[in-house]
Amino acid sequence: MANKAFGVINSAANYIRVEGLHDYRPIGAFSFLGRFRVIDFPISNMSNSGINRIHVYLNSRPRSIVEHIGDGRHYNINSKRGNIQLLFTQNNGHSSIYNTDINAYLENLEQIERMPQDYVIVAPSYMIYKQDYQKLLDEHVAAGTDITLLYHKVDQAKEYYRACNVVTLNKQKGVQSLERNMGTAKEKLISMDTYVMSKEIFIDLIKKAKRESSAYSLADMIALACETLDVRGYQHKGFFAAITSLDDYYRANMEMLDYATAMDFFTNDWPFYTKTTDACPTQYFHGASVTNSMVCNAGLIEGTVENSIIGRNVHIGKGAVVRNSIILSYADIGDGVYIENAVVDKWVEAKKIKKIVSESVTPTYVKRNDKL
Amino acid sequence: MAQTSMLAMILAGGRGSRLHELTNKVAKPAVAYGGKYRIIDFPLSNCANSGIDIVGVLTQYESVLLNSYVAAGGRWGLDTKDSGVFVLTPREKADSGLDVYRGTADAISQNIDFIDAYDPEYILVLSGDHIYKMNYDKMLSFHKEMGADATIAVRGVPMKEASRFGIMNTDDNRRIIEFEEKPEKPKSNLASMGIYIFTWKTMRKLLIEDMKNPDSSHDFGKDIIPVMLNGDKKLYAYEFSGYWKDVGTIDSLWEANMDLLDSDNELNLDDTSWKIYTEDTGVIPQYIASSAKIDGAYINQGAHVGGEVSRSVIFSNVKIAPGAKVIDSVLMPGAIVEEGATVTRALVAENIRIGKNAKVGNKKSEEILLVAKNVKGED
Repeated sequence: MANKAFGVINSAANYIRVEGLHDYRPIGAFSFLGRFRVIDFPISNMSNSGINRIHVYLNSRPRSIVEHIGDGRHYNINSKRGNIQLLFTQNNGHSSIYNTDINAYLENLEQIERMPQDYVIVAPSYMIYKQDYQKLLDEHVAAGTDITLLYHKVDQAKEYYRACNVVTLNKQKGVQSLERNMGTAKEKLISMDTYVMSKEIFIDLIKKAKRESSAYSLADMIALACETLDVRGYQHKGFFAAITSLDDYYRANMEMLDYATAMDFFTNDWPFYTKTTDACPTQYFHGASVTNSMVCNAGLIEGTVENSIIGRNVHIGKGAVVRNSIILSYADIGDGVYIENAVVDKWVEAKKIKKIVSESVTPTYVKRNDKL
Repeated sequence: MAQTSMLAMILAGGRGSRLHELTNKVAKPAVAYGGKYRIIDFPLSNCANSGIDIVGVLTQYESVLLNSYVAAGGRWGLDTKDSGVFVLTPREKADSGLDVYRGTADAISQNIDFIDAYDPEYILVLSGDHIYKMNYDKMLSFHKEMGADATIAVRGVPMKEASRFGIMNTDDNRRIIEFEEKPEKPKSNLASMGIYIFTWKTMRKLLIEDMKNPDSSHDFGKDIIPVMLNGDKKLYAYEFSGYWKDVGTIDSLWEANMDLLDSDNELNLDDTSWKIYTEDTGVIPQYIASSAKIDGAYINQGAHVGGEVSRSVIFSNVKIAPGAKVIDSVLMPGAIVEEGATVTRALVAENIRIGKNAKVGNKKSEEILLVAKNVKGED
């Protein structure tokens, strides 16, 4: 049944803002573990599921994603039978209420209508998880439902997932409601903003949305449709991260430092593809000390690294200490600099200031290109 | 800067038998090096970075893995409309039977039809088993400037070692006046690197003549170069001074890996203006556990380090369990060192497992131990 569905990868809703990082790129282009970008996960899931026609919707600041996806060959998609289309929206201000996924679909409706597949799988570019969409599609078709929605059961809905939607289900896993997480309880079923439906229903919802409200999203339309259509939930298990705040971003990376979690997520039978930068291996000098960390290539490590993620081409100077932090590519941490609980963006040069520490739970963020 | 006037031919047919079991199943150019590369990545990346579009790779010995590896030209960016990497193995031809490549020159001669199809002005002949970074475009400029028929890259070697190499004796203008293979009393210290640029029209004629010569061993060094010198052709020496290594033995392969541990190593693989490209595997970054202790190492993505590592080169998908020790060693892709095992002064081949508490290698041994078979653990 491969190729019965095409894929749609959608950017985050306009009310989702990740402090700092988001000023420079959409969430899909955020680095994960210093090596991947968040969007590698939905695209790889689709590719591994045999979906080879994929629409990627881009709204603001598309440069980094366009560069990263390129012709999409590194995602193992047949270059003749399949393709990844990058679709832009013209009429958006990036924080405008009109900047919705529905508007993006409307602007590209012709592309959607022309797809030869009967079904569509919609997945977000701001979440990280592993899911076989073919299996999801098979279940959807077998159950004969109108819309199948992927959800994940969490127990930290008060602190995290604040910009996500929560799902309430009846006993038959029928979706009764879909609404914003207000942090009212710890345990919630978080919508993974991932849906399977027929192309027909998808187009229908898009067209109807225009009549309902110019500011409505697909999630809003599905929430409305719960009354008239058969919308069912499908539970996802395993690692799940929604990157909707700096806290979420930090936590998602840090969770992977747990070896069992990482090994369960990264398996040979379900590769996550990314674009290579042909970076050489990392050099650890005499005097370096690295523990419980993930380190990317082309690093020069002279100092101490603990419980951290070190991106590509990073230099950690002599006597420098990096603790509980995420250091993104090309950052240069000078001799003797102490960094704790921070997210340091790309190309940062930290030399003059000797201590960068966040006292709160939320990590401190150091801006891209900054000299400190 | 497309260099359509020059086509490259990489000689990758040799077995490299002094690498013992490492080349039992793969040809020497496909042997792993430097944490993530295969040796042939170096000439191929040099070609790509020098703007050479068409690269023929001449393979013969155990070539299945090597052929499939180099055929994916996209790894080195050699997959545009006008570029490509072509695997050239011996084949049966209409006018002759299936002949193996009888020598380096014969390998080129048997592919004259391939070269003619691109009608190049110059051909670059390279060895597939050397580790170095070199801009062949600069060498071509030199070749053109000198109006040479052949340009041979040379490097200065210590005079006392010169008798181990093919030595080029030149006049003051770098014109080669004499070539001596492993001379007892060398007159110069300029050793041939086995890198040649030939003006194709001249070389084509010489190769056709050489094919007909029953006394020839069809080798560039032994036959073609002497014929050129005797025939008054213009041969020039192009001096190269960077890092260069022929990793012919286990010791030299180990040493070339260890060179990467120097902070100012000459090969400088992190120079982003001259990257060495290779196969990319979709692995996670290197995972360094809480129990790890690393004191001087060169480690690739996808490696898992739980134990102690000092002065070692660790390739992708290597697993070093907590409590294991790796000292002065090279661990090739997929090698596993289990709990309590110690690896000292060794080169561990791809996908080899060193069992629990096993001890391999010796701190005091003069030679590097090649571990090419799984080592059983002890309880």
